[in-house]
Amino acid sequence: MGNSSSSGRRNSHILSQSPGHPPPPRMYPAPHRYPGGHAPPPGPGMYPPNVRYYSYHHYNGLIPPSQFYSQNFIQSNGQFMINLPPPQLYSQPGGMPSHPVSQPPRPLEVVEHQRASTIQNTVNLKKATLRLEKDEENRGSYLVSFSFDATAAGSICIFFLAEEGADCSLSPVKPDAYTPLRSEFEKGLGQKFRQAPGTGVKFSKFGEKELLKGGEHYVFPLVIRMETLPKSPPADEPPRESLPLGAPLPDWVHAQITQATIEKKDDDSYQVRVVKQILWISGLRYELQEIYGIDNSGIGGNFDGTVAGKACVVCMSEPRDTTVLPCRHMCMCSECAKVLRFQTNRCPVCRTPVEKLLEIKVPKRGSELGGAAESSSSQSGAATAKDLIGDCDKVEHIDPKSILVQASDGTSKS
Amino acid sequence: MSAATANTNLPRRIIKETQRLLSEPAPGISASPSEENLRYFNVMILGPSQSPYEGGVFKLELFLPEEYPMAAPKVRFLTKIYHPNIDKLGRICLDILKDKWSPALQIRTVLLSIQALLSAPNPDDPLAENIAKHWKTNEQEAVETAREWTRLYASGA
Repeated sequence: MGNSSSSGRRNSHILSQSPGHPPPPRMYPAPHRYPGGHAPPPGPGMYPPNVRYYSYHHYNGLIPPSQFYSQNFIQSNGQFMINLPPPQLYSQPGGMPSHPVSQPPRPLEVVEHQRASTIQNTVNLKKATLRLEKDEENRGSYLVSFSFDATAAGSICIFFLAEEGADCSLSPVKPDAYTPLRSEFEKGLGQKFRQAPGTGVKFSKFGEKELLKGGEHYVFPLVIRMETLPKSPPADEPPRESLPLGAPLPDWVHAQITQATIEKKDDDSYQVRVVKQILWISGLRYELQEIYGIDNSGIGGNFDGTVAGKACVVCMSEPRDTTVLPCRHMCMCSECAKVLRFQTNRCPVCRTPVEKLLEIKVPKRGSELGGAAESSSSQSGAATAKDLIGDCDKVEHIDPKSILVQASDGTSKS
Repeated sequence: MSAATANTNLPRRIIKETQRLLSEPAPGISASPSEENLRYFNVMILGPSQSPYEGGVFKLELFLPEEYPMAAPKVRFLTKIYHPNIDKLGRICLDILKDKWSPALQIRTVLLSIQALLSAPNPDDPLAENIAKHWKTNEQEAVETAREWTRLYASGA
């Protein structure tokens, strides 16, 4: 841990040891009165109690008091606020401001704070449930299985080694190796899908090396596209069934695409890892991204204020409802987030520079959906995709476990 | 404003942290608030085993400034200690107390970091120049001095 500290310490060290500055003890002229006057007597082996230890790196005795004060100004919402020292704590003779100037003022970029708005998603593959199972009726072949929620009937298409193109179209890289599969599903939460035995896919036909390669250039070893029709198609459109599997999606189709890589394990079984989930809604493509810490948030209405892990990391009192972007740490309540952005531009959890703060208020779910979803899976809520902030091309939230990032070019293909 | 008024305005976070520090103290660390000022803590850290500070009981003071948790706590050793990152006034050179502070850190995590700093002195980034030099030129002897200081000043008396 000592090593991880180096950069900052180097910095403060330089400050405190600047040539020409007197050594610290002489810099702190006023005797420091401990709060409550209970300073320990300087016994043997104790440092003298009259050290203003708290401001040594920032106050070198050379800054005139007026400037010192000015560093205590904070601009907030266009208003100037002043941080005055708590007079009861460190009263000083001589009127030197004793309040610690904790950080030198830094240029603060005001970060956008936005509220999430909601979009409706009709189908959600639960990515943790995606598996490749051995096809018992077909040696060397594998079957796809997963659980999903759907608030409308629709169809599932499964592709191996397929490339994503414009409007979420999917084309097999090796069309000779297999025929994409299609099957129908009904509306319902917590459904299970398992490919029929005997229809498994032989991986040997692909050349294992190619199949196990990670997702590159929009080619993924396993791609599942789930479509629903939230409204009836325009009369002049050909029926979906007549089009080839993987055809570009029109804007009246609603879809979720799950892209995964395949890894071989020691026991010759295969493990699937979901890399990306994409939503196609009203002709726009969104990438679904997980929010870290949302399991511990107050979202879902189960915050009772007692579990430490669920509270805002700053006030430790209010439920978390604000996600830091781009790092996606849901770690604060909206009030603290508003304060934070005038103090620092870094995420409290990972110190990534903050570009945006996304507040996610999820209305309590209706009893019908919420109840059913909760009984079917902890993820629930497939139907309540959340969010949309700002104008466009930005960030959305869904599920409510993740946010959606809309690809800037719609097709995502260069 | 009296101390009592200040204490009644104590943010909930500080109250919660204090409660947890008292009810579930971290191993080898104790921190208790002063009665007069609940932002001032008396801290004791046991020297980590397999460090030159093993067997020592080190007293520190910790103060939560008004801006806390947006600003770091102010911490200082009261017990004399021979360590390249702690100067003769007990001030500690630790990045999380400076520019690497984050409001997600807490009193507990700060004290654990200080405990870790005792286990891993970093003479390449010194606060106490002489001690760091000693550490780099003759580590064995420096460690021995640290042991000696621990016996002399931090024997828990």
